[in-house]
Amino acid sequence: MTGPKTARNSGQSPPQRIDHPSDPSAIVITHEDIDRAHDRELVLETRARRGFWPRARLLWLLVGPGILVMLGENDGPSMLSYAATGARFGIGFFLPFVVLTFLMACVVQEMTVRLGAATHRGHAELIFERFGPFWGWFSMVDLMVGNFLTLVTEFIAIRAGLGYFGVPPAVAVLGAWLVLVAALMAHRYWTWERVTLAAAMCNLVFVPVALLSHPHWRSIGGAMLAWKPLPGGLTPDTVLILLADIGATVTPWMLFFQQSAIADKGLTTRDIRFGRIDTVIGAACAALAAVATIIATAALFTHGMTAGNFEAGEFAQALQPFVGRWGASLFALGMFEAGMVAAITISTSSAYAFGEVARRPHSLNLPFQQGKSFYLVLLVEAAAAAALVLIPGIPLVYIVLVVNVIAVLAMPPALLFLYMLVNDRELMGELVSPLWANVLALGVVVVLVGAGILFGVSVVTPHALAIFGGK
Amino acid sequence: MDPKHSQQGESVNSDAIASLVAALEPDQLISAKELRSAPRRRLTATEKVLFWLLRFYLIFMFGIVIYQVWTGARH
Repeated sequence: MTGPKTARNSGQSPPQRIDHPSDPSAIVITHEDIDRAHDRELVLETRARRGFWPRARLLWLLVGPGILVMLGENDGPSMLSYAATGARFGIGFFLPFVVLTFLMACVVQEMTVRLGAATHRGHAELIFERFGPFWGWFSMVDLMVGNFLTLVTEFIAIRAGLGYFGVPPAVAVLGAWLVLVAALMAHRYWTWERVTLAAAMCNLVFVPVALLSHPHWRSIGGAMLAWKPLPGGLTPDTVLILLADIGATVTPWMLFFQQSAIADKGLTTRDIRFGRIDTVIGAACAALAAVATIIATAALFTHGMTAGNFEAGEFAQALQPFVGRWGASLFALGMFEAGMVAAITISTSSAYAFGEVARRPHSLNLPFQQGKSFYLVLLVEAAAAAALVLIPGIPLVYIVLVVNVIAVLAMPPALLFLYMLVNDRELMGELVSPLWANVLALGVVVVLVGAGILFGVSVVTPHALAIFGGK
Repeated sequence: MDPKHSQQGESVNSDAIASLVAALEPDQLISAKELRSAPRRRLTATEKVLFWLLRFYLIFMFGIVIYQVWTGARH
């Protein structure tokens, strides 16, 4: 854990008691504690005031991890999945389906809010402590493999998005990595969170693109109200896109990131309501951007254009006749933003998890000298993913295709850990999941395992899909 | 002394500490996590079976993904 290392590294004697405010001389205070305490003082002061504006300010102070995790998951491969969905299948089945996947994400992420606020510990840390290193390392390997592959796809999206504007790949990728470094410069969780939040809100540029495509509102209303059947029935193609869309909203890194960010931000059990609001706001914004992307690219479907192997830049070019030059530019910019924000949040989730498991200091409040291993993991992982994208001949399209699928496949084991932790009365006390939350969580696990099995069938014996009503 | 400029592990004056302890919950301090780690939980047989089942599921499905990528690359 962080504590002992921090104290030992500083050359101090090990800390004594910490829960006796009457004996403060025994406490070892770190730079990280001080920064977090400053943030909490603001929260406590604001909470003490009555009225609408103090409440609104309290919400402003407490939101962050939920919006970041949801908009962070609207990443390069996710936006490409939504774009491919609209272009190949239109809006009929997939608009309500995507909204449903965000509801699933809310159910899952709400558990991490309670867990982080109740324990003040990151997800990896709790898994290692409660289940031991044997199971802990399994979950770490799942996370690290998934995160690295996803990071590669973020840089693919960055390269493709900026490529539309004529930026050379090496400049785009190096520039993005430097932006990631710049976001960390403040060595302050609060500053990092606000800068990244501002960037994440740019995910909504897909909304004006959808409006520029002159959507048919009655069809959209009809699709949302009367859920139409899957176009063409179950085929390997539709199964792949179904899985990609599920993987675009629920992935293991989100569990690790939101819980660790909540602990780093310093949320407590009194803030859980705001943590839930934060998560719902994030899900609503992300769902809006996802739906907008499907609506925007549905213009290609309506006009019978093939978009089977499009990458981000090609989508923007293909959309230009329907959304104009500005719309196409916004689409490409949105792809860059999606990759950029996700590269920041996903590499941070890896760094948190590494620090928690290796028992090294892990906080965005740490100066570089004190959080060397944390920052190095974050920057080196991102640099390696960025470098991979620049190697000529790497099958980038395949990596993009499988990343969301891998995310769906890795979710059930990750959810089992989360389910057991959030129902652990020794950790959670009265905050254990109520029955309805457990039923919803188990429902999500069943959907994910079912989707995984369907994918397996579609790959190994595609003709067997006929059993499920497919072709 | 300005707590903002305190170094890691540095002793700060008692007023600053009192202020910190008031703003943070006791177990939010880094040193508190050292003293109170969550004890290891004994897994029941059912839980172990579930863990292993999901592990095999994941390994099997990863094999399928690799097969799909391999066949896709050949085409």
